[in-house]
Amino acid sequence: MTLLNVDQLTVAYQQADGGWLETVKQASFQLRPGACLGIVGESGSGKSTLARALMGYCRNGGSILGGTVRLDTQTIVPAAPDARNPFRGLGMAYVPQNPLSSLTPHCRVGDQVSEAVRCNQRVSRAAAKAHTLELFKATGLPAPEQLYQRYPHQLSGGQRQRVVIAAALAAQPRLLILDEPTTALDKTTEKQVLELIQQLRDRFNTALIYVSHDLNVIARMCDDVLVMRHGRIVEQGPTTQLYQSPRHAYTRALLAAMPAVDPSRCAAPASPRPASDSLLQVEALRFSYQRPASWMSRLGLAGQAARPAVQSLSFRIPRGETLGLVGESGSGKSTVAALVAGLYAPDGGELRFDGVTLPAGLKARSQAQRRRIQVVFQDPLSSLNPRHRVADILIRPLTLFFGLNNTLARRRVLELMEALHLDPALLERYPRQLSGGQQQRVAIARAFAAEPELIICDEITSALDASVQAQVLRTLRELQASTGVTLLFISHDLGVVQQMAQSVLVLRHGAVQAYGRTEDIFRHPPNDYTRLLLEASAAPVFSSGHGNRAKPAASTDSDILLFSSRTALHETPSPHRSAPRSEGRIATRA
Amino acid sequence: MTLNFDWRVLRHPLYTLGLALVALHLLIAIGAPLISPFDPIELIGARTEAPSANFWLGTDVLGRDYFSRLLHGGRMALLVAFTGVLISVFLGSLTGIACAYLRGPFDHAIMRLVDVKLALPGILFIALFVTGLGESAPVLVALIGLVYMPGVIRIVRAQAITQISLDYVRAAQLRGESAAAIIWREVYPNTLDIIFVEFAIRMSHAVLLLSSMSFLGLGISPPTPDWGLMVSEGVGQMSFAPWLVLAPALFISTLVLGLNFGAEALAAALGVDASRGKVG
Repeated sequence: MTLLNVDQLTVAYQQADGGWLETVKQASFQLRPGACLGIVGESGSGKSTLARALMGYCRNGGSILGGTVRLDTQTIVPAAPDARNPFRGLGMAYVPQNPLSSLTPHCRVGDQVSEAVRCNQRVSRAAAKAHTLELFKATGLPAPEQLYQRYPHQLSGGQRQRVVIAAALAAQPRLLILDEPTTALDKTTEKQVLELIQQLRDRFNTALIYVSHDLNVIARMCDDVLVMRHGRIVEQGPTTQLYQSPRHAYTRALLAAMPAVDPSRCAAPASPRPASDSLLQVEALRFSYQRPASWMSRLGLAGQAARPAVQSLSFRIPRGETLGLVGESGSGKSTVAALVAGLYAPDGGELRFDGVTLPAGLKARSQAQRRRIQVVFQDPLSSLNPRHRVADILIRPLTLFFGLNNTLARRRVLELMEALHLDPALLERYPRQLSGGQQQRVAIARAFAAEPELIICDEITSALDASVQAQVLRTLRELQASTGVTLLFISHDLGVVQQMAQSVLVLRHGAVQAYGRTEDIFRHPPNDYTRLLLEASAAPVFSSGHGNRAKPAASTDSDILLFSSRTALHETPSPHRSAPRSEGRIATRA
Repeated sequence: MTLNFDWRVLRHPLYTLGLALVALHLLIAIGAPLISPFDPIELIGARTEAPSANFWLGTDVLGRDYFSRLLHGGRMALLVAFTGVLISVFLGSLTGIACAYLRGPFDHAIMRLVDVKLALPGILFIALFVTGLGESAPVLVALIGLVYMPGVIRIVRAQAITQISLDYVRAAQLRGESAAAIIWREVYPNTLDIIFVEFAIRMSHAVLLLSSMSFLGLGISPPTPDWGLMVSEGVGQMSFAPWLVLAPALFISTLVLGLNFGAEALAAALGVDASRGKVG
């Protein structure tokens, strides 16, 4: 018996020249009731288009050219011509990637979910509200009554995604389609949301289709996997089988690019240097965001509360080494980056760069000081001016810092392009015409153009696909080896930090949780929080199939590990990690 | 620097109509001296002659060829509106970006001035200045510039605020670029699409405003042919020579209609929300 039957589904988008570009090509697969299917692929592989087409929906400019989709006995594609509201009573629900953009900003979240309830059932407002509160409870939202009255911006990312999931459940779907539901969340929140999805699946016996580029997550969640590339399904099969013996070369490449925490793979320690030769030394750094003074506080009616973002932070980075700065979103990582870069002036403490105290704030720093510290931002599309060509972007720092004339600057730009494995033909393009990986390479090239001694990398790969991420990081390591640049590497992905950094600093609520050599921290996490973080980015542990939940591994005895049933700690420092279950884990390497 | 025009909007019949009307009016305005049968200010016929083979729309109260005056009637208005709006959009957008980037007292001061200006009816504002400074073309250009600047400042400031929150501005600050360089080199190109649409919308407003002013005797002064003036001169003869009012009115409305649809076409082609441009 199958719940969903997809046969030869083809979706295409109309191009500017009037031609059609097929983004999903003859996709065929089936889904059993209550099963979980993962769809993986890089961005642009057509996985989200496929997920939407399952509901008979395409974005503007798109069209379902052929094929059929059946849910039980209902035909969804091709749609009946008189179907006025194709989404009503379908028995399917969709959870999009970004919960902030899928919730209406000016409506209370409770009302939005209530509306979804009333779309699906003819009930009174009061009954809809009661049902919504139940859904909030089921999705593990705290204090549903108060939360009902809040607006989307007053919720955390994880809470927003729970609200969206609650709205999806309002339709009492037999099939829930989740399109990268945790990509916008940090690792620990992601883990909790994944746990929630599993619980709901058990409770409501809903089938799941889980779209993601994150193979770790897919391994954890899904019974079956479908790998997509350029709109085509290249491989499909049971998760364990596909991960352990991938048949298609592309699947193998994807698996190989997967970063995972593995103590045997710590970044090689740079040659030991005397402690005095630290490039950046941070002493007791303090900073808090001053809330903008409201008219209430000006009149003395409300106290002015300042939230400390960084509390008494001290660390140092030896020359030529990499310090990994990790923590959840909101832990103050990016604030530290902004303080070191000079975008914010600290409230207290000292920044010493190459033995000299750095003035607080950019304007007080000399041009040379600004040149020697460069920043690479998280989102390359936002950090590259969309109206400047790649050539302009790279030439600017050369003329500004070194006063090079156009000819010399162009020559230097070509060298930089080569060092970053970028095709010189891209110089005349605009950032939007580049792929995500190329954009980030250009941003890195811009940083290196200034010939800096310290580069602050603020989550530089979190917007990239796993395979692209691995390539970009490899290039960055090559450049570090050849230029001897020091890196302050900020990430929420411990797998990546482990590959890149000689030492690690774990930050939580602006305070240091752990600080030391990468190897020591990863093998002997000094406290529960660090262990929780490590665990959240551990290598994939397979879902053991529907209804057959694994018991918590023996080592996860800590009370704070709320959702630990399907991940295990690596309790031994040996490179051969013990597998908690026989079919359990596979070692992956990048 | 490129703008991403999506030429597919031309498939929309109203947009095509709008652009065609604007093109036609521009052709007439530019080619008027070549195509009109007579000099528009020369007294060549009897007073208020009826339409004939010689004078297609008859003559006006002073005996000038009405058809020639009609063809010339948009030239001054278009020139004044174009220059005035160009000034208001250029200075207004830079001021708007500066407000968004600098914030603080500068932003506050400018925005309060903008509020004050937006609270005044445009025609009253102009009436005050024209009475004081006379009604020469440079005065009118400056006034059009001044009248539309506050709206432009507001719209562009809002657009610039979202741009300034992006990391490329942070990257420029980290390079040590000056505020002027960031405004001009980094942010300004990224507000160009909205600036273009603003320009088109303000053009249609300005043409209508100039015609109203001429009608009230506050705008372009005789003997320069102008549709607004012609309507006001023709009102007396409305009962027996209605074309003296209807013909210039038709020219004004087709131009304004064309500019409106054209602005919408431009907004659609650039992917800008045109309704936002109609504030102020």
